[in-house]
Amino acid sequence: MQQPGNYRIGAVVDKVGISADTLRYYEKIELLPAIGRTASGIRVYDDKDISRLRFIRRAQKMHFRLREIAELLKMREDPQHARDEVRLLTGRKLAEVEEHLDDLQYLRNELQLLLNLCRASEDGCPIIESIDRGDDRPA
Amino acid sequence: MKPIQIEVFSSPDCDRCSKVFDIVTAVVRDYGDDVAWRNVNVIAELDYAVELGVISMPSIAIDGDLVFTSHPSARKLRDEIDARLRQEI
Repeated sequence: MQQPGNYRIGAVVDKVGISADTLRYYEKIELLPAIGRTASGIRVYDDKDISRLRFIRRAQKMHFRLREIAELLKMREDPQHARDEVRLLTGRKLAEVEEHLDDLQYLRNELQLLLNLCRASEDGCPIIESIDRGDDRPA
Repeated sequence: MKPIQIEVFSSPDCDRCSKVFDIVTAVVRDYGDDVAWRNVNVIAELDYAVELGVISMPSIAIDGDLVFTSHPSARKLRDEIDARLRQEI
């Protein structure tokens, strides 16, 4: 039986939503350290690997490049001894995330407002149609 | 002195907005030229409404700050205006 904290590749796919081919690729390009293997060569991921993979996934959602993610992972491993370049990169990426959060907040408000405008109308959503047409008044 | 600007964010389908118009009109009248107000049709000024964080109608902004997200009582509106006028003295 699989030990807690030891995951075969199929379980990792389910857990983090990254395909098996991609997981092998990440190991090949050393985005992940060499993954532990059983006596018969089956990959066994531990909780630390899962944590790294979740970080990679979050960073990819922000469209960070793999090269950048590799640097950020180094920072993550040993934040107190990170090189200046990695520290600078981390600061830049933090600024990007904060800007993205502002955009998301704005978009969230806009969508919420549109939904609330729709709720006020019983006949579908004429408001959005009028905005699409650039009218000042609903249809 | 520039008057305090009250903006009521509404939409044509907003049933509760007319009550706010009544409250705001009555309150603003008491302040003469010190306070002005306008109705902002959210559909016509969507970007501005979102920029201020308006997500429901009616909402009220004072001098560009979103202050009320439902209809306030006349007293609460007066309190808010008075507080801002005191800062100008």
